[in-house]
Formats: sequence, C-alpha cells, structure tokens
Amino acid sequence: MIEIKGLSKAFAGRNGEGAVQALEDVNLTVHDNEFLTVLGPSGCGKTTLLRCLGGLVGWDQGVVEIDGKPVTGPGPERAMVFQGIALLPWASVLRNVTFGLELRGVSKSEADDRARELIGLTGLKGFENRMPNELSGGMQQRVGLARALAVDPDILLMDEPFGALDEQTRRLLQEELLQIWEERRKTVVFITHSMEEAVLLGDRVVLMSARPGKIEEIVPVDMERPRSAHIDSVEGSEQFRDITAQLWSRLREWQVDVGRGQR
Amino acid sequence: MRSAPSEVVTASGGRAPSGHPSPYRAFSRILDSKIVLRLLTLAVVVALWQLYAVMVGGLLIPTAGGTAVEFGRLMLDGEFWRAVWVSNQPLFMGFAIAVVLGIPIGLLMGRYRWAEQFTDVYINIMLVTPMAALIPIIVMWLGFGVTGRVLLVVLFAIPMVIVNCRAGVRQVPPLLIEMAQSFGAGEREVWRRILLPGSLPAIMTGIRIGLGRAITAMVIIELLMIAVGLGGLIINFRGAFEPEGLYAVVVFVVIEALVLISFVRWLESKLVPWTHETVLAGE
Repeated sequence: MIEIKGLSKAFAGRNGEGAVQALEDVNLTVHDNEFLTVLGPSGCGKTTLLRCLGGLVGWDQGVVEIDGKPVTGPGPERAMVFQGIALLPWASVLRNVTFGLELRGVSKSEADDRARELIGLTGLKGFENRMPNELSGGMQQRVGLARALAVDPDILLMDEPFGALDEQTRRLLQEELLQIWEERRKTVVFITHSMEEAVLLGDRVVLMSARPGKIEEIVPVDMERPRSAHIDSVEGSEQFRDITAQLWSRLREWQVDVGRGQR
Repeated sequence: MRSAPSEVVTASGGRAPSGHPSPYRAFSRILDSKIVLRLLTLAVVVALWQLYAVMVGGLLIPTAGGTAVEFGRLMLDGEFWRAVWVSNQPLFMGFAIAVVLGIPIGLLMGRYRWAEQFTDVYINIMLVTPMAALIPIIVMWLGFGVTGRVLLVVLFAIPMVIVNCRAGVRQVPPLLIEMAQSFGAGEREVWRRILLPGSLPAIMTGIRIGLGRAITAMVIIELLMIAVGLGGLIINFRGAFEPEGLYAVVVFVVIEALVLISFVRWLESKLVPWTHETVLAGE
C-alpha cells in the first residue's frame, strides 16, 4: 500500500523567482494490486508525483510511505516505465531487459532466464538480439515494460508510457498491459493525459489540476474486468462513455476556471 | 496478437542482392565500391600533377613519376627510417599522454560543475591560442630535446580529446541516468553502465581528431624550430633543391596519417557499432 500525506513540492523558477508549485497538499492512498490512473492536463505535476513515488526527486513537505516505510530513494519493490522509454542504445533487447537485474546483482544465467520469460510475455520473442534502433516505438516500449517487470516489482510506476505511440499500437499495448496485470497482479500507478486511457485501464482515476498541482477528485471506474473485450460490448461502451463524459465535464470546469482566473 | 516489424534493413548487412550474378552486375558493383572511386580520384589527381609538372614545370615542382621513384629510394634508406623513428617518438608519447589525461578530464568536466569551473578557462585558452606560437617558448624552456616536442604534441591534441569527451558525457540523455537510478544505480554504476558507454562514440571522435592534431604538431615543430626527423628532412630537401625528396617525405607523412586515422576508425567501428547502424523499422 502506498500512502501519500500532505505532499508538497515547489520548483524554483529561473533566476530564483516565480517558483512553481508543482504539488500542493496531495493526499492519496493506493491499495495493493490496484490499477490507479492519474489524469490531468500537462504541467499539473502528475509526472512530479510519480518521480516522488519513484524516489527520484525529493519534496518539500509531506510523507510518502510504502507499506508503512517512508520513501527516501528508489527501492527494489518499485520499477518505472518512462514515456521516453530510455533504452540503452548500445545494448541488445535481452541486455536491456536484464539491466535492472544486473544492477541488483542477479547472476547472469538467472537474469537471462527471467528476461527471456518476460520477453515472451511482452511479445518480443525472436527479438532478443535486436538493437533498440531496429525496433519501432511500440516494440521499444514493450522492452521498457519487460525491463520493469523483470525485477518483479510490487509496484509499477508508469509515466505516460504509451503517450508517444500511434493509436493502434497504443490500444494494443493497453490491452496487453491489462492482460499482464490480470495475470500477475501488481500495484500500478499510471500517469496519462488521455481520458480514454485512464478509464480503460484504471480501477480509479485520480483527477489532478494544474498550478498548483493538486488532486481534485478521485473517480472510481466500476466496470467489470477483463475490460478490453467488455468495452466493445453495447453495455460496456455505454459505461465507458458515461465515465469519460463525467471526467471531461470535470476537466472542462477547471479549464474554464483557469481561463477566468487569468483574465 | 503480435505484430512483427515489417522489414528491418541494416546499413552494415544490407539486403541480399537478388537476381542472377552476371559479369555486368559484378562490374557495376566494383564501380560502386568506395575504394575504386577513391583510387580513381587519386589517379586523376596524380595524372593532372604529372601533366602540370611536365608542361609548366619549374625548379621546385617535381613530376609525379620522379616523386614515386624518390619515394621508393627512401623506403630502402636507413637514414629515412631513423628520421621516421625520431619524429614518431614524440608523436606517440605525446598522443598517449593527451589521451590518458584528456579523457578523464573531459569526462569529469562533462559531469561535474566543479571540474568545469576549475578547468574551463584553460581549455578555452588552449582552443583559441594558435599553439604554433608557443613553440619558441617551449624551446626556451625545454630545449631542443624530445621533451619539448612531446609537450607540443600534447598541447595540440589534448583540447580536442577533452572537448569531445565533455560533449560526449553531456549528450547522454538525462533520462537514461534517471532510468538507471530508478533501478537503484549509484554514481559509480551510472558511470559504468550509462555515462561511459554513452560517451564512447564521442571519446573515439576525440581520439581521432586528437591524433590528427598530434601529427600536425609533430611536423610543425620540426619545420619551425627543431629541424630533426621528417620535418628536418623536408627542410634539407628544400635547401638542396631536391623537390622529389621533399614531396616524397610529404607523401609519406600523409600516408602515415591516413593509416593511423584508418586504424582509429576501424577501432571505433569495433567499439561503438551501434552508432554505425541506420535502421528502418515499422510496426
């Protein structure tokens, strides 16, 4: 269980002036094995929130706890997937997937075995010896996903992982991510700026607003799983549309507020 | 559903040539190859040189043929090889020092602000100062021995090594470093697994350019101040009005430079193959 209490973080502006309040008093509990999506406009601090969870950056106030232990840096129970994918261009697919395992001191043969299993799971079989620049964006992000899953984390932190992909590839990877999640049940915190993606994937959708970045509302998504097939049914697509519409009405309210506030 | 990439084409491998082998095809492939093109260019240049030397001529313009003959004579001359040895000593010592010192300095400057602040101004001075102007000072300090020549080679080569290594570290995407840290990598692991392999292409570029500069330094100091080795030979041939010898020495220096640079390029392609593959793929 992840518990975030009163989390605040400001970035100093250029020349030390005009500090930006990236996060303001964020309170959030993520349950074990929950798929939580975080939705908000760009610049709302959702990526900063994830980086705090990952222990990559510090914060000004508040507490982040994982299973009761305060987060002070990266930890073996967490793994991240990045929008920029961040594959090592000089390493094969296999070596990219074993990267986290090598860092954690897993022996080479065991790391290779674990990597091969995840390469199979993420649909990369036969690509073990390819270099990243030989792969399309979708294939590359499968490698990023396999690399994160290889260290067998309890918590997956995903920062708009499919944001840069084309629509079909994105949908395909969403479905496969869901399948993997149903099989191996992990806690997932998934950042996105797509309403459809947030609803399709999440058990709950956290809505964030920008400047200061704070949580406005948490919307439960009461749709049966597995979702991907369900959504194509008449009933499912109606539910899907209703929840998406609900999210949009919220988001639009703040957009208007922001607009008024600026005038 | 797993979609396979439609097509993967590597620059190194290329697509297998289709169709039947024919004499014409074989011939056109030879024409396509770079080496033949380069040899053709060379042949044209040599032919023009010969033509100019024969038709216009002059005391200091040898023919290509005469130069080739003299070149052949030098290859059998022990005195010439002693000069080669004298020149190459400071070249290799100086170049080795430039690489061994320059790489760590450049890498540290790329990563740490303190290292940058400490050395930046000196690197800039070295980059803008015409190093040849330092030769008299170096000679005054260190005399006409090998030390001064080594120092000049270092001064010529090391800024290129440093600047390229610094740029190499800086162009490693911060996201890669962050990714490694997210898997628990400390600073040591970040260097070993991200920064060093990530900056290797730039390090190799720095070594290659540095080598070119080192060769320049070797010849310049011998021409301008300390008339020994190959530079000394060039001066002697000029003094004796033997242009064939002068040209032959220059040709030798060019060939040596080409061989050395080609070796570094070959090393580069072995060490950093991933930068040499351009690939197209689609999902």
